[in-house]
Amino acid sequence: KLAQMEEAPLYPGESIKVIAKDVMYICPFMGAISGTLTVTDYRLYIKSIERDPPFVLDVPLGVISRVEKIVAQSHGDNSFGIEIVCKDMRNLRLAYKQEEQSRLEIFENLITRAFPVSNGLPLFAFSYKEKFPVNGWQVYDPMAEYKRQGLPNESWKISRINSTFELCDTYPAILVVPTSVKDDDLSKVAAFRTKGRVPVLSWIHPESQATITRCSQPLVEPNDKHCSEDEKYLQTIMDANAQSHMLIIFDARQNSVAVTNKVKGGGCENKSSYPNVELVFLDIHNINVMRESLRKLKEIVYPTIDEDRWLANIDSTHWLEYIKMLLTGAVRIADKIESGKTSVVVHCGDGWDRTAQLTSLAMLMLDSYYRTIKGFEILIEKEWISFGHQFAVRVGHGDDDHADAERSPIFLQFIDCVWQMTRQFPAAFEFNELFLVTILDHLYSCLFGTFLFNCEQERVKQISTKTVSLWSYVNSQLDDFTNPFYVNYEHHVLYPVASLNYLELWVNYYVRWNPRMRPQVRVVCVWFLFPISYLRLSLTPLKITAQL
Amino acid sequence: MLPTAKSSFKVRQQEPGAGQPRGPKFSSANAKRNRPCQAFPGIPGEFVLEAAPGVRRSLGASLRFDSILGTLFCTNRRVAFVPDVPPGAKAHPRCSFLHSEYDVALPCIGKLVAASSVSKAKVLTASSSLKFVPEELVLYCRDFRVLHFRFPESGLEPGAFRVTMAIARAQESDRDVAAWSDPTQLRNLENAQRSPEEEEDPAPTLLFESLQDWEQELRRLGPAGWRVSVANERFDMATSLPRYLWVPSQLLDNELKRAFAHFNQRRIPRLCWRHPGGSDLLRAASFHAASDPEKEDTRAVEALLLAGHARCVVVDTVADLPSPTEIQLAHVRLRTLCLPDPAVADEKWLSALEGTRWLDHVRACVRKASDVAVLLAERRCSVVLQESDDRDLNCLVASLVQLLADPHARTQLGFQNLVQREWVAAGHPFAQRLNLCRDGDRGEAPVFQLFLDCTWQLLRQFPAAFAFAEAYLLALHDSSYVPFFSTFLFSCQWERSRRGQHRAFGQLYTPVNGWRDAPNLKILPQASCSAPAGGGACLPSIWTWALHYSAQQRAQFQNTVYTRASDGHTAPPGCSKLKATLSETGAVFLLARGALAPQPHLFPWKNGSLVKKGPWRVPSSDSLSDQQGWPSSYPALLGEVLVPACVGPAIQLWRRCYLRGSPERQHGLFPPTLSGLTEELELLQECLNDGHWRAAAPPSPAESEEAGSPLSPSR
Repeated sequence: KLAQMEEAPLYPGESIKVIAKDVMYICPFMGAISGTLTVTDYRLYIKSIERDPPFVLDVPLGVISRVEKIVAQSHGDNSFGIEIVCKDMRNLRLAYKQEEQSRLEIFENLITRAFPVSNGLPLFAFSYKEKFPVNGWQVYDPMAEYKRQGLPNESWKISRINSTFELCDTYPAILVVPTSVKDDDLSKVAAFRTKGRVPVLSWIHPESQATITRCSQPLVEPNDKHCSEDEKYLQTIMDANAQSHMLIIFDARQNSVAVTNKVKGGGCENKSSYPNVELVFLDIHNINVMRESLRKLKEIVYPTIDEDRWLANIDSTHWLEYIKMLLTGAVRIADKIESGKTSVVVHCGDGWDRTAQLTSLAMLMLDSYYRTIKGFEILIEKEWISFGHQFAVRVGHGDDDHADAERSPIFLQFIDCVWQMTRQFPAAFEFNELFLVTILDHLYSCLFGTFLFNCEQERVKQISTKTVSLWSYVNSQLDDFTNPFYVNYEHHVLYPVASLNYLELWVNYYVRWNPRMRPQVRVVCVWFLFPISYLRLSLTPLKITAQL
Repeated sequence: MLPTAKSSFKVRQQEPGAGQPRGPKFSSANAKRNRPCQAFPGIPGEFVLEAAPGVRRSLGASLRFDSILGTLFCTNRRVAFVPDVPPGAKAHPRCSFLHSEYDVALPCIGKLVAASSVSKAKVLTASSSLKFVPEELVLYCRDFRVLHFRFPESGLEPGAFRVTMAIARAQESDRDVAAWSDPTQLRNLENAQRSPEEEEDPAPTLLFESLQDWEQELRRLGPAGWRVSVANERFDMATSLPRYLWVPSQLLDNELKRAFAHFNQRRIPRLCWRHPGGSDLLRAASFHAASDPEKEDTRAVEALLLAGHARCVVVDTVADLPSPTEIQLAHVRLRTLCLPDPAVADEKWLSALEGTRWLDHVRACVRKASDVAVLLAERRCSVVLQESDDRDLNCLVASLVQLLADPHARTQLGFQNLVQREWVAAGHPFAQRLNLCRDGDRGEAPVFQLFLDCTWQLLRQFPAAFAFAEAYLLALHDSSYVPFFSTFLFSCQWERSRRGQHRAFGQLYTPVNGWRDAPNLKILPQASCSAPAGGGACLPSIWTWALHYSAQQRAQFQNTVYTRASDGHTAPPGCSKLKATLSETGAVFLLARGALAPQPHLFPWKNGSLVKKGPWRVPSSDSLSDQQGWPSSYPALLGEVLVPACVGPAIQLWRRCYLRGSPERQHGLFPPTLSGLTEELELLQECLNDGHWRAAAPPSPAESEEAGSPLSPSR
């Protein structure tokens, strides 16, 4: 009977792997809680009806980074313990009785199910059978998105040269490149850029035609190699914008790092080979620095907070400083496009981490469409997922190698920057904080197929038919994720203040497990906001006819 | 000529009366000048000392920020900037009192800096001489604003030099508050406009100067067991206490009078607030150690402290809280840090902010108030806030506790009543703490500003529980530095009434006839109308917001997300439950560091009856953890109390207040207002009915900018 009351709820397609009674969860805030532990192929679930209201711990296995056996002291019989280190800023400790068999069973099941990829099992997203009224896989259609931007036009064409992923295996099948560039030349440019990631268009200004293009570093090598096709290609990008006779290359790295990279075959554009090009370094550190910063951040927020040194400790993690540098870089890009009417090229090393952060943030500042819920989904699908941000490697879905140096919270940083912008412009975004937290939760959960795999090539075969999209879930209950204060002032460019005076630690995300951090009362739609959004909606068709 | 409002009047361009300290050189320069000057809508008694046209006011030091062209005035009251009205544009009607971001009252000027490209920037005082023609003037205000004024390119214009020197001198002259409040000059007060169609406040703020106010408020709290005592009506019991006191009904006035001598400044325990569950919140000064009480005196003191309860908890508000000196020190550091160009590198900003200790002080106050509020709700007892002289942190804690526990205090009217009762009437030494007259910086301490910051923290944590919004708190913060209002000019009711009488006798003029018949009578404090008033006391109260804030500004005072029946305010898990093991009657406990401890020696006097009751059982550390304690008789009522989080991340910097001087200041950080949304709603409704959209196209960038658009730059 007790077991029934402490049973775990299951998603369609989810199955229970092991149940153990009298497992103790050692909560750093509420002390030890004894209850029934259930491990399924999706979650770890502990429920205790000892407490009123019943205590529930429901953790998707996907967030688990590491599982270790520990000796739990001073908990009586329950002397065997497990410490679970999570990717979402918390650690969990379990303790249970010394019964060889069940202990082994719990531990083994947890390991197998938490790291399915390492154990030759499929991720849970492939078993998930929930049906949603909306199909999120249809949210992003590259052709429709480029058409919205006014593409193709006389200077830019939609190219299918990469339809078999031969030009660049980490790029999407559909690319936008200058009209006059021949496919042969494109291949030569690809040979001169790391991993073949040639400069392609991300966004075009509807009036000035200034563009954001993204790519990887040039393969300059120690002997200062140059590639005339690449030089000509960048010249073409500059010429496509009649408003300016300059092209600005934003290299996200530090100058010194870019130069040192020559030894490894990379490097940066040589000014003498590229006339009319200005090279700007944004001094953003690499993935290892960011991972270390987040590790320090976790130390100061979980489980206890040192009140007397709270702010000094935040300073010492440098997390906000790095957020600031990203925002500063994105503001500079947006400003060059908007005020300078100058086209920009953005790259870092491989062009899938800092580049994705910078282009997507700049696009968010420049184009109010990306500040809607649907627009933001498209932004993520486009700049991150289709352009091959290495989600599988950076997050380590289902992989047990927790010390993998390729893991890094790059996407988390991007979402944090977006959150900082929503704080500074509370009425400019259609989505709310819960939307951003939900995206991050499902970045790790492996419930949806959205963030699985590294690039489009790996995804095409199976993702959309075998898994559910996160956007199916989100778009089926938009009310939960809508900002009631949203006002769509279409033609505004947002320049967030990138100064530590104005940046805040995202407490509702990083410190949310601490029950003493009361979650802020979420503002649910107030009565008078309903008629407004309703009226806005009903006036939309009128607006379109008026513009015609 | 600048079109001005009907009600404003041209200010005389002539020499002021006697008593205005001015150098001969200065006045001759003034007399020589003979050019038309823009009409300046002034306050009664205000006159322009200097004016410089063609000045640009910019948002930041660098030129990349937008600037506004206008005229810079220096008057005997303030520095004011009047923007030029572009031809064709509708002029904003300015009213004399209206708060604007362009005006600074002279006492609010913290630092004046003149800068020029040919010379080093120079901080100006009244005695300093300026050896260059300034190109830019920067005013650092005490309310954290920073105003930049750039003089015209042809800096040789003598206006730049003259107005700068005038401001430098004016900021240090005219320190006498009474000069602000000459009643003869207030005849034109009714000019301070108030549109007739505007609805009157149905319930005016209680000023707690009349007996009715005290009785009315006591009725609201539930008067059982309490009465209003008139023992101090002539201030002969205690000068710093209000005229009327809430005391236990069973105590007669002659018994009551026995108690005064045994408290510092004769400030006896008296009621602040009653919890609906039966607990009482009291405040008092410390015991006067040198007095020698008789037995009956001690009984009276005891009756006051216990207030009919079996138990009394004494909360020492000095113990865990910062002293006024520490508050001032933290505030000075905070101000330095929040200057536009702090000396601190951006990467170290948070550490430096922590180093000011301002947030620590805010946290300590919020935590203390939260402990007291929980105690009031959980236990049935009397809680006495005790501070050495009961005039600083007692005001702060008493009002914070009520904000947490009393939903009425979270309405605008309730909040104003609260400030009026626990600060103004209770005798917080505003004159000294705000130091608007600059007569010595020794006692300056922004205790009231600290309270506003604490209130902002609560507002941030419980956005739906407050009827007023951040803009209201900011308005109150700024207004406390503006001496056009009587509210914060005095240190106690006695001083206010003394000043008033002194003035009334000294002047032939009494303003009474001037406004008694005026239709807008209600904008004036009732008390100052009925009593022979004068001096600063006849200046309007700060709560007549219509006098100094426009209807549009006042609309932002309302909190759009306020819900009367606010959502669950249950204590978060892990919130400390106060436990004590003693349940003796007549027991006195001390609340310190979030824990209750029995207090064997409460009174400093040997013959204290409580001390005689025999040895106290001192709880060992084991017994503290056992569940025996007072029966937590009203657990349900705890749900009514806001229990704020106080851990590190929960207390934040009030950016919109302290970082206003920063050039990166954002426009439109305020969420949309109720009135704004209502307007949009009406507009949309209209369009839907008419069927054409064009009229209702989304506001153009220019319009939306004006309406406080959420987005700053536009394309």
